[in-house]
Amino acid sequence: MSEGRVGQVGRVGQVGRRALAVAIAFAASIGAGAADNARQIVEEAQKRTDANSQRYEGLLQVFDAKGKISDKRWTFERLGSHGRSKSVLRFTAPAEVKGVALLVVNHPDRASDQWMWTPAIERDRRIALQDRSTRFFGTDFSFEDLEERDVDQYDYTLAGDDTVDGAACWKIQSTPRETKSSQYTRSIVWIRKDNYAFARIENSNKDQVVRRLNYSDIRNVQGIWTARQLEMTDVKRGSRTRLTLDRLEYNVPLKDEDFTLQAIRRQ
Amino acid sequence: MFILLRLISWPYFRKHVLRTALTTAGIVLGVAVFVGMHTANQSVLFAFSHTVDRIAGKTELQVSAGETGFDEAVLDKVQSASSVRVAVPVIEAIADTKLKGQGNLLVLGVDMTGDRSLRDYDLESGEDAVIDDPLVFLAQPDSIILAKEFADKNGIAVGSRVTLGTAEGDKAFAVRGVMKSSGLTSAFGGNLAIMDIYAAQKMFGRGRMFDRIDVALKPNRTLADAEQEITAIVGPGFQVEPPSGRGQQFEAMLAAYSMMVGISSLFALFIGMFIIYNSFSIAVTQRRSEIGILRALGATRRQIRWLFLGESAVTGLVGSIGGVLFGVLIARGIAASIGTLIADVYGVAQHADELATNPALLALALAIGVGTSIVAAAIPARNAARVDPVQALQKGKYQVLSAGESRTRAVAAAICGVISIGCLLAANSRPIFYVGYVLAILVALLLGPLLSLALAKAIRPVLKWARPVEGALAADSLIQAPRRTSASVAALMLSLALVIAFAGMARASYDSIITWMETALNPELFILPSQSVVSRTIRFPSSMAAEVAAIPGVEHVQMVRDARIVFRKTPVMLVAVEVNNIAKTARLPPVAGNPDEMYRKAAAGEGLMVSDNLAQLQHLSLGETLEIPAPEGVIRLPIVGIVVDYSDQQGTILMDRGLFARYWKDDSVNIFRIYVKQGAPIADVRQRILEQYAGQRQVFVLTNDELKRYILKVTDQWFGLTSVQIAVAVLVAILGIVNTLTVSITDRRRELGVLQAVGGLHRQIRGTIWIEALSIGTLGLVLGFALGAINLYYILQIVHHDIAGMRLDYVFPISTVFALVPTILGAAFVAAIWPAESAVHGSLVEALEYE
Repeated sequence: MSEGRVGQVGRVGQVGRRALAVAIAFAASIGAGAADNARQIVEEAQKRTDANSQRYEGLLQVFDAKGKISDKRWTFERLGSHGRSKSVLRFTAPAEVKGVALLVVNHPDRASDQWMWTPAIERDRRIALQDRSTRFFGTDFSFEDLEERDVDQYDYTLAGDDTVDGAACWKIQSTPRETKSSQYTRSIVWIRKDNYAFARIENSNKDQVVRRLNYSDIRNVQGIWTARQLEMTDVKRGSRTRLTLDRLEYNVPLKDEDFTLQAIRRQ
Repeated sequence: MFILLRLISWPYFRKHVLRTALTTAGIVLGVAVFVGMHTANQSVLFAFSHTVDRIAGKTELQVSAGETGFDEAVLDKVQSASSVRVAVPVIEAIADTKLKGQGNLLVLGVDMTGDRSLRDYDLESGEDAVIDDPLVFLAQPDSIILAKEFADKNGIAVGSRVTLGTAEGDKAFAVRGVMKSSGLTSAFGGNLAIMDIYAAQKMFGRGRMFDRIDVALKPNRTLADAEQEITAIVGPGFQVEPPSGRGQQFEAMLAAYSMMVGISSLFALFIGMFIIYNSFSIAVTQRRSEIGILRALGATRRQIRWLFLGESAVTGLVGSIGGVLFGVLIARGIAASIGTLIADVYGVAQHADELATNPALLALALAIGVGTSIVAAAIPARNAARVDPVQALQKGKYQVLSAGESRTRAVAAAICGVISIGCLLAANSRPIFYVGYVLAILVALLLGPLLSLALAKAIRPVLKWARPVEGALAADSLIQAPRRTSASVAALMLSLALVIAFAGMARASYDSIITWMETALNPELFILPSQSVVSRTIRFPSSMAAEVAAIPGVEHVQMVRDARIVFRKTPVMLVAVEVNNIAKTARLPPVAGNPDEMYRKAAAGEGLMVSDNLAQLQHLSLGETLEIPAPEGVIRLPIVGIVVDYSDQQGTILMDRGLFARYWKDDSVNIFRIYVKQGAPIADVRQRILEQYAGQRQVFVLTNDELKRYILKVTDQWFGLTSVQIAVAVLVAILGIVNTLTVSITDRRRELGVLQAVGGLHRQIRGTIWIEALSIGTLGLVLGFALGAINLYYILQIVHHDIAGMRLDYVFPISTVFALVPTILGAAFVAAIWPAESAVHGSLVEALEYE
């Protein structure tokens, strides 16, 4: 496996990025020779998801503790890759949220900037850094989970081998460095040995697992191994959110000017 | 001591039930007014603090800029502070519910994305997703969450629609959730609704502004450090303080009102004290022979003094207990009235739903009641102790003022008078001024008996001429018992002096306000966003000015933006107007400053104008540089003019609108002043304005007369307290006269009996007593008006320097005098009916056996 830096780490933030910012990119092609160095594994996994842009239509299903399901649909577009990307997520259903958009501008060295646009009152609002740990609009993802972070913001330890859905995986522990503000104190990431795709992430706060993300339906899309279904479980609430990706494309032609506040106000 | 009370006092009380009741009533009245006023005031303050506290949730600090609000960008700055864990924006608005009898709803505009870190929005019913998934809530600006209390009261369920008055007119809101009963929902009496903050901005015309930012700190950060850090970040134009600071500002805003309440309750206690003094003075004179016998039997002076003090303490205790109970009973009504007053005068909607009965206050009231009673009885008790047993048995002599006593009184009065005038001349110091005031009252009290006697002698010929028998008898009764007469006359004099002072102050205030209104409020029409002139919850965009100006019949439009800001830790009113524009139509004459220069500099943004009352209360002078903290920096400008302006009791700062827009980043409007073209029917123009905005915007158009009537109505409410005081004073005067006449009849039972025995007719007896009562009334009126004239001067000075800063002209309230003469004489006559009938129908044999 080649060594190099790729800005993605095993945490829900990464999951968010995977799920919502570069979701399908996890299913990367298998590199030459697996490395057992934890950091190298993560870097390689991220490298294999590199793409200039991405677009998909998502179905978000929230299953509450009583089993009730609520659906939302959105379109997702991302320009750029890993830590320097910009993405726009626009809700298309149900009718009462149609048109609401979220702009995420990621930075390699700091937290992302996030804005939300509500067409009914023609107002944008900034999602404050302090609010990133809150749930992302009723799902089991948090706003922090939408961020892309640089790999240098975390430390990694190889915690052993494991299997997920019958696939052999590396089990890697990541902890945020002091400079990094996060709601999670620790994350365990399962990366498949066969294709470097993420298989599972468990995020903990003070040794308590709070969220668990499972990747499934992993397919090769335009050379990138991508999970088509992601399921986040809020361990404490007992609720889960499933994100299904449709019409997924990589390296589609997108314009930089479509990823600004002015642009999301226009559309 | 207790034996004496049981053997001597108890039978006396039982024998004179009416007088005992009247005496106790004096204390009941005083304590009840004290307890009622303070409890009501405290209840309203408590209700406000309660609401602030409940809404604050886990908020540790609040960042605000008075009432003006501030630009949204400040939020980022506050969130960037290292000590801040959570900082969320808030808008508060009061919206008319359009539901009969339900009044207003406090709408809390919050950003649900992060606000749950500070406040608990658990739902009683409705989709949890409304809270958990604020997306729908945020995406739909008609979303609202109601407190369970309000929903239950009005039978509202999730899915219902509720209509509220907004800047865009009446709007139907979808109830997307009902909050469980909790601390938050109990705020504002349960009339609470939650709305998305950005929707609230739109609905209430707030532009891109927030009212405040609620902050929770990171662990291990102290409030003081965080306050310092945030203040350094946002600048001096902001208040960074714990939520309780809002309560303190509310209290500061009501300072003048609270002072009025304090004065009223003290006045009531003072009156009660006088009733006690009056009653015990009469009791001492009446029981003089009894005291003489006790002394002859070996009772010491000390025992006699303690006997009377003991009686007064018991009376005080019984009266105080009654007063406390009665006070708590009337407090709710007073609190409701204060709530209405606060809403109408200060534009702050706050009603006390529960009484804040403070045990310490009640205990204090009991102590004050008993203490007042003992103090009031101290002089009569001392006099009782000094009774000479031999002289005590000489009937009538004790009622006479000795030449020595008269001389002593005259000398003491002269000394006090000279010192009082001296204090007045050197009244730079407020304590000296108040000493002078007290001495002036003391002079009146010292001279009271002498003047009563002199006046009684002066009216004797008139009375004798009018009714030869009854008139002469009545006058002689007054002349022969000046001590008895003077106590009642003095009580009447004091009451009337206070009535004259309050009435004079009220009259002068009305006159000043009317004069100000004539100059300042001269447009034909006023456009307001709310029914209440003082409510600043909803605002207009400045773009409306051009639209209104284009309406046929409109000659001229002026924009006014007013809001309370915190200036030198006091909430004062900031009024931003187009100075150039206003100067052409409503030119206020300056109290200090050159009128042309004042308007020119203020219009150019080179100076500020301040109201006379602000200058007085904050000790400001012409040319002085003011520092006005604003969100965009500190305005440092000189005072270029001091004008009479009654926009606010705490004072007003007037500045040009351009300056305000620059420093507050706010060009919204509270009021449009509309001048109508000559010849254009005002009613038609008004109708056109209403039609222009029908269904689009909530607009209220008041005519000049309607606005002035509104202001006068509010002024009436403000002086409602004065009316209560006048009523209490008159009531006390009546009690005093009844008391005096009852004693007079008892004292003169034998005399009256003899009169009847030698052929005196019933009507002559009645006539004598009636005339005596009317004479006491007349003496009280004459002395009361004289002291009132002096008292009015002092009260106007106090109002000017210590309460409202208002410079009021001295105008003796002639109309009040004309109203008081028949009222007091009528009351005196009514007070005489029962004693007269008692004298006529009493047993002649018993009367002749008396003494």
